[in-house]
Amino acid sequence: MISRLEIRLKDELTDPEGRNVKRKAADYFGIKLEDVRVIRILTIDAELNHDQLEKIRQDIFTNPVTEVSSFSPTARSFDWLIWVGFRPGLRDTAGSTAMEAIEDLLRIKFQGEEAVYTSKLYEIRGKLTEKKAKIIAGEILSNDIIQQYRLIQRAKWDPAQGIGLVIPKVILNHVPQVSTIAIGSNQELKDISISRNLALQDSDIPPIREYYLRDDVKSERRKYGLERPTDVELEYIAQSRSDHCNHNTFRGLFRYHDLSTGQKETVNNLFKTCIEAPTLTVKEKKDWVVSVLWDNAGVARFDENFNYTITGETHNSPSNMEAYGGAITGIVGIYRDPLGTGKGSKLIMGMYGYCVGHRDYEGELKPRLHPRRLLDGVIEGVKDGGNKSGVPTPYGLVVFDKGYMGKCLVFVTALGIMPGLVGNQPSHLKRTEPGDLIIMSGGRVGKDGIHGVTASSEVFSEHTPAGHVQIGDPYTQKKMHDFLIEARDEGLISFITDNGGGGLSSSIGESARFSNGCRVDLDRVPLKYSGLDQWEIWISESQERMTIAVKPKHLDRFMELSARHAVESTVIGEYNDSGYLRLDYKGTTCALISIAFMESDFPQWEFDAEWTPPELRGLKEPVLSEPKRHGEVLKTMLSRPNICSRNWISRQYDHEVQGGSVIKPLVGKGRDIPGDAVVVRPVLDSTRGIATTQALNPFYSEVDTYHMTAATIDEAVRKVVAVGGDPDHIGGVDNFCWPTIIYHPENNPDGKYKAAQLVRSNWALRDYCLAYGIPLLSGKDSMYIDGNLEGPYGERRKVSGLPTLLFTVSSVVKDIRKCVTMDAKCPGDTVYVLGDTRDELGGSEYYQMMGEVGLHVPWVDVNKSWPMYLALHRAIEEGLVSSAHAVTRGGLAVHLALVAMAGETGMDIRLADVPAADDLGDSKMLYSESSGRFIVTVDPARQDAFEKIFSGMKTGHIGAVSGSSRFKVKGKDGGIIINEDITKLKDFWKGPFGGLI
Amino acid sequence: MKAVRALILTGYGLNCDYETDYALKTAGAETQRMHINELIEGEQGSPGSILSRFHILVFGGGFSWADDHGAGVVLASKLKFNIGDRIDRFIKDGKLVIGICNGFQSLVNLGLLPGFDDDYRARKVALTANSSGNFIDSWVKLKINSSSPCVFTKGLSHLDLPVRHGEGNFFATNSDIERLFRNNQVVLQYAGGDGDPAEGKWPQNPNGSIKDIAGICDPTGRIFGLMPHPEAFHDMTNHPDWTRKKEYLSREGKGIESWEGDGIRIFRNGVEFIRSEIEQGRME
Repeated sequence: MISRLEIRLKDELTDPEGRNVKRKAADYFGIKLEDVRVIRILTIDAELNHDQLEKIRQDIFTNPVTEVSSFSPTARSFDWLIWVGFRPGLRDTAGSTAMEAIEDLLRIKFQGEEAVYTSKLYEIRGKLTEKKAKIIAGEILSNDIIQQYRLIQRAKWDPAQGIGLVIPKVILNHVPQVSTIAIGSNQELKDISISRNLALQDSDIPPIREYYLRDDVKSERRKYGLERPTDVELEYIAQSRSDHCNHNTFRGLFRYHDLSTGQKETVNNLFKTCIEAPTLTVKEKKDWVVSVLWDNAGVARFDENFNYTITGETHNSPSNMEAYGGAITGIVGIYRDPLGTGKGSKLIMGMYGYCVGHRDYEGELKPRLHPRRLLDGVIEGVKDGGNKSGVPTPYGLVVFDKGYMGKCLVFVTALGIMPGLVGNQPSHLKRTEPGDLIIMSGGRVGKDGIHGVTASSEVFSEHTPAGHVQIGDPYTQKKMHDFLIEARDEGLISFITDNGGGGLSSSIGESARFSNGCRVDLDRVPLKYSGLDQWEIWISESQERMTIAVKPKHLDRFMELSARHAVESTVIGEYNDSGYLRLDYKGTTCALISIAFMESDFPQWEFDAEWTPPELRGLKEPVLSEPKRHGEVLKTMLSRPNICSRNWISRQYDHEVQGGSVIKPLVGKGRDIPGDAVVVRPVLDSTRGIATTQALNPFYSEVDTYHMTAATIDEAVRKVVAVGGDPDHIGGVDNFCWPTIIYHPENNPDGKYKAAQLVRSNWALRDYCLAYGIPLLSGKDSMYIDGNLEGPYGERRKVSGLPTLLFTVSSVVKDIRKCVTMDAKCPGDTVYVLGDTRDELGGSEYYQMMGEVGLHVPWVDVNKSWPMYLALHRAIEEGLVSSAHAVTRGGLAVHLALVAMAGETGMDIRLADVPAADDLGDSKMLYSESSGRFIVTVDPARQDAFEKIFSGMKTGHIGAVSGSSRFKVKGKDGGIIINEDITKLKDFWKGPFGGLI
Repeated sequence: MKAVRALILTGYGLNCDYETDYALKTAGAETQRMHINELIEGEQGSPGSILSRFHILVFGGGFSWADDHGAGVVLASKLKFNIGDRIDRFIKDGKLVIGICNGFQSLVNLGLLPGFDDDYRARKVALTANSSGNFIDSWVKLKINSSSPCVFTKGLSHLDLPVRHGEGNFFATNSDIERLFRNNQVVLQYAGGDGDPAEGKWPQNPNGSIKDIAGICDPTGRIFGLMPHPEAFHDMTNHPDWTRKKEYLSREGKGIESWEGDGIRIFRNGVEFIRSEIEQGRME
């Protein structure tokens, strides 16, 4: 029997969700609605009698104070009704929690395919054409990739029937089958690769064929009744060869050619030369680096008892398709990495970075999702994913640029903590051994993520699973997280890793390398619905799953704890030392692959990289005179989208949970200015903390990615030092997002240049990590940030994102009580600028405002900067600093104003006293983006002690915090060029997104 | 001295258990974090075997059952139908219950609050979606009703605490709101900078609660529910103004005298209440 329960707020209560729909209709499309009210629907596909239904209606699903509900249609007095439900196969978390609650209350068990599905009905009042109603349904209320909608006009409403009964059940009607594949020739295998969407490289094909033709392989296969390769095997091999899993680009061979100097250089493997080598060199000198370059996250020492873990990645393509689903899957997914590091670390914090098109874009290109809708969805996804995980999300960045219209970037970063020892064993070490059981815990397996986005072009039927886009489920994962941390503490876990890209094939394939073999019963893997082929079970990317190796003696306790936490765990095989990975399905072997073969190197990818220096690309310094209205310039700069307040985002994210918040995302008297870095205290009875921050400077890539990278690293270092981070303990995480570097004469004519940009960026990464002593604790690359957008004439235009590096740093703060925030504290305090200002406005915000790129991009001079960073750290440790702030995008004027705005106090500044290496005019002084600089305010009583620490360094006493409300700047000739009210400046800064909540 | 023991529920998406545990320890309690299932199985197997060992029962923050069917609704239903009678016993024994954020939402759905007329089952008040329509993380100023019988707020007049929720909009019928005020069951109200109730002004009142209500207690004052998080202000460094305060003090040649956060006072009041009950022989 199918029942439909409709629940709605009482009429006298306002409906905030409905009001948001009304607001979006007006904001996004200028459609005026009178009123919107939301009806929650539970469609219950189960044998429940009348009394049972009534009991669950009253006792669980209806709040008697605020809601009314009925098993009959409740919609009335509307102009349009829009019903929105999930497509089949999507994770309907609310549906499953409803089942849990019903089972518990009625003391029953849902049988077989009985289930509860949630959906929503929007009651819309307002005169609307069908076209406009469709816009609201399709562009605000649903995304056709994951949801379906029905539109009902008042006149066609049958109040007896209501919206009907929609059961988005997956029905595959398919008997799982293994097929074998003939690979008589290279061409035959190549054809198979194309027809099955395996995306194998041409160079991968011969080694695969050679493997299957080996005598030892043939004879071993015969023992299990296998001859030709099976689809399970080929899918597995292809998956493990993908750029996503294997990082073929970073491990590739680059033929670098500087077209101006003629310099030629072969760069063999960017990962080895620019990431691994410098990290190992630094690790030799830094004993706090515990474990790097192999596990799901890097491990660094927090104190004598604890280590912390950190990693970051992107979730670009899925977010570009379905912003909410992509982003929530991204943040929840990255949280499994620290959980799967060593024997497991407990999550302590997350961060975000969004690169999107302009929110108010009104151009002629038609991205799948308008940047405004996309950003709203992404923000909401990380909000639900982070908040419901019980992990604070205190830091993040947003960059708007038209280049990200092709594909948005969604960066997610996670930190965890674990005791140094579990039992007597170091917690960062793990291995599988013959005899260990393979256990899958958490969610179930469906057709999710199989072959990624290629599936998106397939035609939907009513019961086709919408598998390629997923919606992360933080609730299921939080239960699993709590369970696994307890299991870890009891010493039950030998090995743990997450199921992300490649699913079981990747997690088991990699963990079986330690023991040198394994056997898995694919038919024991719990499925969301029946009918999955064996290869699909093996490579499915269904979320919220971990793979754990458990010794047989620990099995009972492990399963007992799993049941206690209401987490599903299943033994699906065991590790052995056979040298082979073997997959069985109902007793028949369907895959047998040598571990050594999977570990072997395949032919390297090769790239031509041609560098044209900026001068030869026609870049030059612009010809600009001094503006006459400096105050107006400052106000305009403060209200530019990449400078202005984005507070509405950080306010939605819980940054206090776990009780360790020390320096928050927003600081200052009004608690509304973004701080340089955040500090959390992961161990509550310790006064140590972890300081973290991130930097993104893609606009410098327009000039030179080498300096973009250097400036980005330097910015992150300065920001973490500014709050009190220890310069001798700075770990880095590199997240590269790059447009396609594979040259193609028509599709990617500048591929060679982009390849050279990547090489140069990596060189800077190597050089500056060595110079600053930063080990790369973790990192990931995501290539292909391009899109082909529809134009006004039905044409498609390729849009590529700027070469982008998100650099994350983490540092340990020895005593959090010495931390410093960036807000000016007291009138009369002295204002200093540390570090030289140079003629470096190439790629700057100021030039961008003038419609220019420029040439002189900021350079980083480590020899001058580093001693100053050490000195600033000493000054902070000695309590001499009232506020410290790194000067970043927008230059001195913007950042002095931010320091003043944060303190809600005026400032008197003299540009003549700003230390400068070049003879600069006022506007360049104000808006140069030279690296290596800080703004510091100091109590006059501590001035001597402060200056002593910096003797011999380039510092300038440039003015004072004033008691007035005016932000005043004297130009180099002594005349006042800026004199603005600090509150007004803040209004400008808050203006652009001030109305968003 | 006999120990005061507090039980903090965990599992099913609850998430403030570690810091709540820490705050209670700091306040002098012996604590245990326990999975909801362990409590239910224990109480069903041998009634009183667990709850009778504790004096303070804590429903902490988080997203129990993902908050999918109304915040705290499923948790409340699960406890009510599995061990409701054991919780009644716990209350009748004069022990303390505190519900924070999701815990407050659970208490009102359980009916432990407002507890009019000794009825600890009736759902009379609700915490619904914030009027802004969105989750908010913000520090708020709270005015504390000094006439309230609430055990946890004795001696306090104002308190700064963070709120972090999407469903904290306190709602009840006018007559029930009046009754709450009449009984002095309204313990906390969101306040403006002057310390007086915010009168609905956002973001001082972050969720649109009627009469700025942030927390209420039952008529005995022993059951307390609040949206703000006292456990998240266990240390001075949690407070958003601490770096400024430290700097002002340093200009006077002083430093921060106590690094303990003001949120601990809520828990300490609870612990001291129990301790005195034990000392006076009213409790074991």
